[in-house]
Amino acid sequence: MDSIILRKEIKERIGEIGTADILVGIPSYNNARTIGHVVRAVQAGFAKYFPDKRCVLVNSDGGSTDGTMDAVQSATIEDFQSILLHHRVRPAFKITTPYHGIPGKGSAFRTIFEMADALNVKACAVVDSDLRSITPEWIELLIKPVVEGNLDYVAPLYHRHKYDGTITNSIVYPLTRALYGKRIRQPIGGDFGFSGKLARFYLSKDVWETDVAKYGIDIWMTTTAIANDFKVCQSFLGAKIHDPKDPGADLSAMLYQVVGATFDLMETYSDVWKNIKSSESLLTCGFQYAVGLEPVNVNVDRMIDKFRLGVKELMDIWKEFLPEVIIDFLNKAEGLPKEEFHIPDEIWVEIIYSFAIAAHKKLINKEHLLKSLTPLYIGRTASFVLETWESDAEEVEEKIENLCIAFENKKSLLIEKWQQEV
Amino acid sequence: MKNIFERLISEPLEGFLERFIQFLPNLISAILLLLTGLFAGWLTKKVLGRLLRILKVDEFSERHGINNILLKGGMKESLSSIIGRFAGWLVFFIFVIISLSSLNVPAIERLLERFFLYLPNLFVAIIILLIGYLLSNFFGRAALIASVNAGLKASGLMGRFVKLTIFLLAATMALEQLGIGRETIIIAFAIVFGGIVLALSIAFGLGGRDMAKDYLEKKMKGEEKDEIEHI
Repeated sequence: MDSIILRKEIKERIGEIGTADILVGIPSYNNARTIGHVVRAVQAGFAKYFPDKRCVLVNSDGGSTDGTMDAVQSATIEDFQSILLHHRVRPAFKITTPYHGIPGKGSAFRTIFEMADALNVKACAVVDSDLRSITPEWIELLIKPVVEGNLDYVAPLYHRHKYDGTITNSIVYPLTRALYGKRIRQPIGGDFGFSGKLARFYLSKDVWETDVAKYGIDIWMTTTAIANDFKVCQSFLGAKIHDPKDPGADLSAMLYQVVGATFDLMETYSDVWKNIKSSESLLTCGFQYAVGLEPVNVNVDRMIDKFRLGVKELMDIWKEFLPEVIIDFLNKAEGLPKEEFHIPDEIWVEIIYSFAIAAHKKLINKEHLLKSLTPLYIGRTASFVLETWESDAEEVEEKIENLCIAFENKKSLLIEKWQQEV
Repeated sequence: MKNIFERLISEPLEGFLERFIQFLPNLISAILLLLTGLFAGWLTKKVLGRLLRILKVDEFSERHGINNILLKGGMKESLSSIIGRFAGWLVFFIFVIISLSSLNVPAIERLLERFFLYLPNLFVAIIILLIGYLLSNFFGRAALIASVNAGLKASGLMGRFVKLTIFLLAATMALEQLGIGRETIIIAFAIVFGGIVLALSIAFGLGGRDMAKDYLEKKMKGEEKDEIEHI
């Protein structure tokens, strides 16, 4: 695929700007309703925290038909006094462009990395275009650790409802932490800061015609940064509130994409993670504070029903790769009443590791394998909800910490099975 | 009297003997070819079986569930020995054909010609059946998983229905390729398939009237959804 910067108008625009210090990228697709707020927050962030730097905002659009690009162009802060700002030394530049290549967030990011490379920027950040809770401070928190702290990658840290981000909490965070030894709490948060050096490193990777271009870019960026020894930290951004996602979005497709991308990276970096024995906490920037979060509606009975249906119908598939002890447990759990329903951490860890091994050894078609995880994931989520119904955020975090420890304790089992010949 | 004996008995006998002596080398060569075929088939079976075992084909088949499929089909042998045995028989079969054609008998030659003309159809039919079987398994499993994830109580039935339909389609195509009851089979398939669809329509229309009403009502009112954000 041709580089976006070879296009005449982009080349001219880059020629006009020359070089820049900071670049913030916003990938978008039909986000006209929300992107204006995000653009204004970024502009205010530039003005407030980096007044003497050359800043560029890049909107990389996936062919929106709702006027997203026009919304970006027209979004501007009329009165900087409203954000208690009385000066602006340098104007911020704005580039909006449709990206090329395979449709997906990864291709949008590639365009942003190419711009960062062409403008030789020192620090970059990417933020989602459907954010409602973004403030100018997010730009400071994502960029400053790179500019002033000499760090390469800044992962976000949010306060979320105890039942939000369950794939992150029950699979991606504990697994990434156990594998690569870095406690990045939101490895697929979506809003990241990174150095120009790391942006160039991302560009040098030959992944832009693969699934990374479509989905899985978030976990790919995080894992690539930590597995290649870039300096990593996380920044507390407050609450993450965004436009409601499509309610029809298929959970099994989501699991397939996110968990599949994580398993693919296990193949790429198997020599790295096999040698890591423990995990370490990271430098966390930003002032942490409590935020009010809206209650979440959960129907545990329906979740348990879906788990039971899965055990009844998919057992023949699972028997091909799950250990006998897990099969016995699942058969017993299927008959338990709601009050006694529980999937312990150790069982869940063994399930995830068994799925990872089955994907590694290509025991069954990858899409079938990962989509068959859905009822087990729903069962585990139901178990977690029942267990933490009365718990506050701190207690829930403690439970997630215990799960992470279980993932780390059983890692030797994963390594042993990974190396076994089929 | 002597003349009559010569004309009725001796001459035909001599003629037969002469033709038999002329035919004898062909017969001997056919028997030798048959025996060589037997040996070559046995050797192929042994050598190929061992080679496949060295290449760990059995482990591969175990891993990819081929052994399970074979077991379900009533075959208890390993994949390597099945392939070896099949190749052995194939080699022997080729030698049988060569030996038959070496006899130079016009009737056998005509039969062989017809057989060879039919052989590609047989080959294509086997390939269609094999692909049909693999596709039916794949899509049957995909349908089962998708139905379970959608929370359908009749997921198992759905998976089996998809699997059976695809295999039936493949079997119909294979039989059509072989030219066996061409039109009857297509009509039979259409009747069976159409019958299933009609039966399902009636079942949903009559038996599932209330269910359909509930479903539509839920859709119109907006079903209560979990608000968990998974990512």
